[in-house]
Amino acid sequence: MYLFARVTFNTRRFRIESWMKAFPDPSNSPAHHTRSLTIHGRQLVTAAGADVGRWIRAFHNVEHLHAGTRGLGDDQVSLVPFHGLSPSIRSLRLESTHARPSEVFGLICSFPLLEDFALLVFGYGDEVDGWSTPPTSPRLTGSLELRSVVGGIGPITRLFLDLPNGPNFAKIVLACVDETDFKSTTDLVLGCSDTLETLNVSDYLQGVFLPVPVLDRYLTAC
Amino acid sequence: MKLKHLVFQCARPNVQWIIAALQTVESKNLEQITVRPDADTFVRTIKEPVHQQWHDLDRLLLQFWTSHSIRPKVTYETGARRKDMRDCTQSLLPELTRRGLVDLVECDR
Repeated sequence: MYLFARVTFNTRRFRIESWMKAFPDPSNSPAHHTRSLTIHGRQLVTAAGADVGRWIRAFHNVEHLHAGTRGLGDDQVSLVPFHGLSPSIRSLRLESTHARPSEVFGLICSFPLLEDFALLVFGYGDEVDGWSTPPTSPRLTGSLELRSVVGGIGPITRLFLDLPNGPNFAKIVLACVDETDFKSTTDLVLGCSDTLETLNVSDYLQGVFLPVPVLDRYLTAC
Repeated sequence: MKLKHLVFQCARPNVQWIIAALQTVESKNLEQITVRPDADTFVRTIKEPVHQQWHDLDRLLLQFWTSHSIRPKVTYETGARRKDMRDCTQSLLPELTRRGLVDLVECDR
C-alpha cells in the first residue's frame, strides 16, 4: 500500500497546515495517491476555506471520504467546497452535529459513483428549501447506514426516495429514535425491496425502542 | 423478496420484538440471522425474568435451522470477554449451543 493511501486530518494528530507545509505545491503533492481521506472537526472548516481549496482538490482520486463535523455549529462549516472532490468516490461517511438535508444531499449527488453512504447525526434540520432533484442519481447500490441520536431523519430519507433512479441499496442499517421517522424509513426499505439483501435494525438508541409493528412493516416491505 | 441477511441489534434484554419479527419473515432467500446483544446487557440478562424469552428465541431459531438450514449467529463487540459471551450464549440459547448450531463471533460493528 502506498504511504499516503490513507490520510486523516484532525487537530490533535495531523493537521492540514502540516500537509501544506510539507507539500507547498498542491499539483506536485502525493495527494493523488490517497484513496481514503478523513477530515475531522475544525480541520473540516480549514479544509473548506478558499485558501486551502487547492490542496484539498489535489485529493482527486479519493474513493472513501469520511467527514466529521461533531462539535461544530451548523453555521461553521459548509460541505459545498467538497462537492465533486473526486469523481471516484464510492463511499461517504458523515458524522454531523447538525445535518441540513439539502446540504447533505448536495454532497451525495456530486459523486456519481457513490455506492455506500453512512450518516451519524446528533441533530437534524428539515430545511430542504432550494433543493431540486437532480436529473441523474448516484449509484447508491451498496450500503446505507442512518443513525440518529435525536430523530428527525425523515427529510433526508424522503430525498433518497425522490431521486430519479431511486435508491437501490443492498444493505440498510437503521437506528432511529423518533416515531416520526418510522414511516419514512419504512418507505425507504420498501423503495429498496428489489435490491435489499441485508437489513440491520436496532431496538434502541437513547432510551427509545423500536415498536414491533414498525419492524413488521420493514419486513413486510422487503 | 431478496432479503438474505437479517441483523437484530438489541440493547435491552427483551427479545420479544425479535421473536415477533421472525414470525413474520417469509423470504425464501433468507440465509443468515444475526443477533447482536449489547455485551453488558447480555451478561445481566441471565439474572432477569426475560430469560424465558431467550429460550423461546432459542426454539424459534432452531426451527429456522430445521426448516431452512439457517444457522444463527451471535456477535459481540470487540473488547467484550469471550468467555462471558460464551457462557451467556450457552445459558440463553441452550438448545442451539448443545447442538453446536450457533456461531459466536467477535466483530467491530
